Amino acid sequence: MSDYAVSVKNVSKKFNLFHEKRDSIYESAAGFFQKKRHSEILQTLDDVSFNVKRGEIFGIIGRNGDGKTTLLRIISKIYSPDSGSVDVRGSIIPILAIGLGFHPELTAISNIYQSSILLGFNKNEITKRIPEIIKFAELERFADTKVKNFSSGMQLRLAFATSVLVDPDILIVDEVLAVGDINFQKKCLDTIMSFKKRGKAIIFVSHSMGEISKFCDTVMFLKEGKVGNIGSPAESIAAYQEYLAKHPEINPKKNLSDSV
Amino acid sequence: MTSIREEMWKTRGILFNFAVSDLKIRYRNSILGVLWSFVEPLLLLAVLFIVFSTMFKFEIPNFPIYLLLGIICYRFFQNGTTLALSSLTNRSATITQIYFPRSIPGLSAGITSAIMLVCELGVLGIFMASFQFVPPITILLLPLVLALELLLIFGIALPLSVLNVKFSDTGFIWGVVISAGFFLTPIFYQFDMLPEMIRNVLQFSPMVQIVTMAHHVVLYGILPSVNAVLYAVGSISTITVIGYLIFRKYQARIAEDV
Repeated sequence: MSDYAVSVKNVSKKFNLFHEKRDSIYESAAGFFQKKRHSEILQTLDDVSFNVKRGEIFGIIGRNGDGKTTLLRIISKIYSPDSGSVDVRGSIIPILAIGLGFHPELTAISNIYQSSILLGFNKNEITKRIPEIIKFAELERFADTKVKNFSSGMQLRLAFATSVLVDPDILIVDEVLAVGDINFQKKCLDTIMSFKKRGKAIIFVSHSMGEISKFCDTVMFLKEGKVGNIGSPAESIAAYQEYLAKHPEINPKKNLSDSV
Repeated sequence: MTSIREEMWKTRGILFNFAVSDLKIRYRNSILGVLWSFVEPLLLLAVLFIVFSTMFKFEIPNFPIYLLLGIICYRFFQNGTTLALSSLTNRSATITQIYFPRSIPGLSAGITSAIMLVCELGVLGIFMASFQFVPPITILLLPLVLALELLLIFGIALPLSVLNVKFSDTGFIWGVVISAGFFLTPIFYQFDMLPEMIRNVLQFSPMVQIVTMAHHVVLYGILPSVNAVLYAVGSISTITVIGYLIFRKYQARIAEDV
């Protein structure tokens, strides 16, 4: 077989969009007799297929709400797809928010342990890497501080440092790097490049077309939950921009401006 | 079924980590810290003891120990299931950001309550010493009875944690069940004191079976009859299997509903 790290085949996902959420047993029982639908179905992902090779930075672009984060959650097993399959070869760490599932009441170090153990990494290995993680995150003075007292930038630094130093085979980065300051963003992107050189796969979501075209090898444009284009960064960005131009009412100009 | 069991085996280390961090969070910012897990039951047991031993004067031999043992068994059940109830909803951030087996929070609530149980058994030991009560040799069977209770807690913790994600009034319903259960379990009275009709119904309660067995082995030196043991094991296993099936039905959608 080909040397892929992540293979997504025909993945579809629908959500029930509750307009009036029926979430108590009483309401369900009452609603059972009324037989009235309170929800509409939202097709978030529709027959999405792609492969990510080892040593590849795979970019995903698209409008807000067109299924990028849902797709990342399905790859990371947080959601299960309605149909289709995802094959992941190797350990995977998703950075989907400015944390790594951190618990606000635990200290930075406890959170490093908890998140990485939950993700299936070995506790002794993590113990060896704690000083490095804290140093990378530039949080030497705050190692014993509870995460609830951290700024969002500090949480992101902790999340990113933990993710890269426990050394997964596949790294998923949602559009969160923008939270960090310029220096840290540069450090993150350098690290992502060194990951690539070591043959790891990276899935990278960003609204900065500059970053996408500079770092990605392959880019997928996700159009309303379907694959709009898969190809070189230039091709996919062109497809995305053409799409936005055709839909001016939903064209947030700032999405296209380069932040770096 | 196999894949979930494999997953559980791989991640068993997480259970303990989770249970300990639950305790840390529970006693955060408190002056006595973990000492609370010893002091809290001591104070609470003292209050319940004063209330029940002065207001209800039943002719039960060794009433103080009888009462404490029942309360401790029941609190084990109450703590485990109540912690499990909110275990998933309290960790919504973690659940939507990383994948881990969704059974871990509920099961680790059972382990947290087991750690708290050990502290409370220490309190029981203190009471036994101060009443100069020498337990019979059958007390060595108490851990087995409590292990059976832990199985029951696991069996209820799993469906409860996931139902609370799906239905927000699960917590209210379970609160009523726990309050009612305290009075429907022979904690401050003896089971024989109840009218036969009520006994016929309550004998099906697994907590009645567990507390009765605990009283037998700790106080009276009576081995539970084979029938009673088989019956308790059977009913608790059934509850656990049903609980697991409910959990499995809902678990795939936890991250979406939480």
